[in-house]
Amino acid sequence: MIQAVIESIAITKSYQMGSQQVQALAGVDVHIQAGEFIAVMGPSGSGKSTFMNMLGCLDSPSSGEIRIQGENVTHLSAAQLARIRNRYIGFVFQQFNLLPRTSALDNVMLPLLYRPDHSDAESFAIECLKRVGLAERMDHHPSQLSGGQQQRVAIARALVNQPAVLLADEPTGALDTETGLEIMQLFQQLHSEGKTIVLVTHEPEIAAFASRQLIFRDGRLQSDKRVQPASATEHLQRYRQQKSQEGLA
Amino acid sequence: MKWLLLFKVAWVALQVNLMRSILTMLGIIIGVAAVIIMLALGAGAQYEVDQQIKSLGGNVFIVFARGRATSGARGAAGSVQTLTEMDAEAIEQQIPQVTVAAPTMWANAQVIYGNLNWAPSIQGVDNRIFSAQNWQLNQGREFSAAELSSSGRVAIIGATVQRELFGASDPIGQSIRVDRVPVTVIGVLDAKGQNTQGNDQDDLIFMPLDTVRKRISGRTLASPRAVRSIIVQVADERDMALVEQELESLLRQRLRTTGSDDPFRIRNLSEMVETRARTMQIFNGLLAAVASVSLLVGGIGIMNIMLVSVTERTREIGLRMAVGAEPGDIMKQFLIEAMLMCSLGGFLGLSIALLVTKGLEKFAGFTAIIQPEVVLLSIGFSALIGIFFGYYPARKASRLQPIDALRHE
Repeated sequence: MIQAVIESIAITKSYQMGSQQVQALAGVDVHIQAGEFIAVMGPSGSGKSTFMNMLGCLDSPSSGEIRIQGENVTHLSAAQLARIRNRYIGFVFQQFNLLPRTSALDNVMLPLLYRPDHSDAESFAIECLKRVGLAERMDHHPSQLSGGQQQRVAIARALVNQPAVLLADEPTGALDTETGLEIMQLFQQLHSEGKTIVLVTHEPEIAAFASRQLIFRDGRLQSDKRVQPASATEHLQRYRQQKSQEGLA
Repeated sequence: MKWLLLFKVAWVALQVNLMRSILTMLGIIIGVAAVIIMLALGAGAQYEVDQQIKSLGGNVFIVFARGRATSGARGAAGSVQTLTEMDAEAIEQQIPQVTVAAPTMWANAQVIYGNLNWAPSIQGVDNRIFSAQNWQLNQGREFSAAELSSSGRVAIIGATVQRELFGASDPIGQSIRVDRVPVTVIGVLDAKGQNTQGNDQDDLIFMPLDTVRKRISGRTLASPRAVRSIIVQVADERDMALVEQELESLLRQRLRTTGSDDPFRIRNLSEMVETRARTMQIFNGLLAAVASVSLLVGGIGIMNIMLVSVTERTREIGLRMAVGAEPGDIMKQFLIEAMLMCSLGGFLGLSIALLVTKGLEKFAGFTAIIQPEVVLLSIGFSALIGIFFGYYPARKASRLQPIDALRHE
């Protein structure tokens, strides 16, 4: 069996909310192989975001194990987890989470600041901005960029540390349809280049661009199936045609 | 994370909220400025006192002859001359720590030159007075041996006397009348200025002991060699207490005193000055302590703003943690921000203190001395305040859970 990039083994998570015990996750087993493009779906409260935070080592499970490239990271200290995130995980958030009043380039370089052994951080960050098509805007501050451009900067930031897996939490949630499709196009391109991507969404249209769909319900994995992904490029073309026709009519 | 980058990040954070940063720094600025100004004025006052002690001679005793109690009626100090030139010689020879013991007489008399007159203090001295009281000659010469032994009609005048009687003209060789006795001016003393009590030290005339005794004083003296006081200079200031004891026992023995009522009194000029200096130091110390309270308040202001800043930037902290910042990195970031703010405040406070002390020196005539160690201390101390008051907010930031911080609204 091929070594999984990230796997969760029987993870559970429960919170104490007042006097009530809330079971957010009730035993989830998922193995993610290198090069997969996975969409995590489910209604709100289904545990998909909690699951995502576990994978990203932002939160630790109540029981069970998270393994990254075979290594159990469940009981590591806060500092050790920070190092794991720095080396293996790239985050993309719904709200972009870029530092204000900081240039796109400096935003992209941020993860490398916490990696003292990294030389040539700047040229690599420029490389990543080129990859998302924003090299000419690297001196712009987030407030000078559109939502789609900000999300591209955030993706470049997620790529800069060459992570084992890219975790995207509702990356199109704050964008209009066309920009969202453009971002999905970028994710598909990155996937075709061999990147492992896990994407949380509640929109089936967005999930359709992934090649594997995990559906959560009530803290459990309801279904896990491989699908034929739709092409974001085609969708984008169709959408643009439609829009221009509507404009003519 | 590299230190240089941390400083850059902190610098950017301060600039983002420029007005707030400046207002926060104000507490530190005022505190540091106040402390430095107080210490500078204290050091300046100390310097002036030191200068005065030096001009008085911090290592000098004055032994005054004091009226013997005759039949219960006591005279004023010096009203009856019990001390003699021989006592001065004995002091010089028998107490090894004494460098010089200068016998002096004094009298008050009107001095006339041309159509001007003046009433300086007339002092009968010999050449030992110059070393005993650190007098320097501005022009002319000291007394010759012949002038001293034969009550020569010569005088060395103080700077004030020169100004009042001669103005700009050359006094050397001129004849003045002291209490109707014509004397020739042979020298002018260097000016010393006022002493701590505000008395003009330059308003005097030196004449040979015998001249004052025989020609000016006109008073019946107990002994032909009697003097009114002896100025005793000690080689090393640290021997002052010892010499005072020896002086007392030597004089008691020489004057055959037994009771507690000595016919002489020993006074130390620097004592008075030092008492004043000590009072001033305590006063300045108190002011500096009050000023440092404002530093403390400034520090609390820093803590307050850092707490606000941590809350405001919770999402930023969450993001930094998500992309790999360890708790220690977050801690360092906020500590350096607080420290930078305080050091900057300290630096600005120092600049203000420099301006204010220059202004006080120029327009109010204060002497202010800013010592280099005070500068280093105040900058270092304000950085310490930054660390001390920045620690709690920084720790709070570093202990945030990344997931909670990211979700913070």
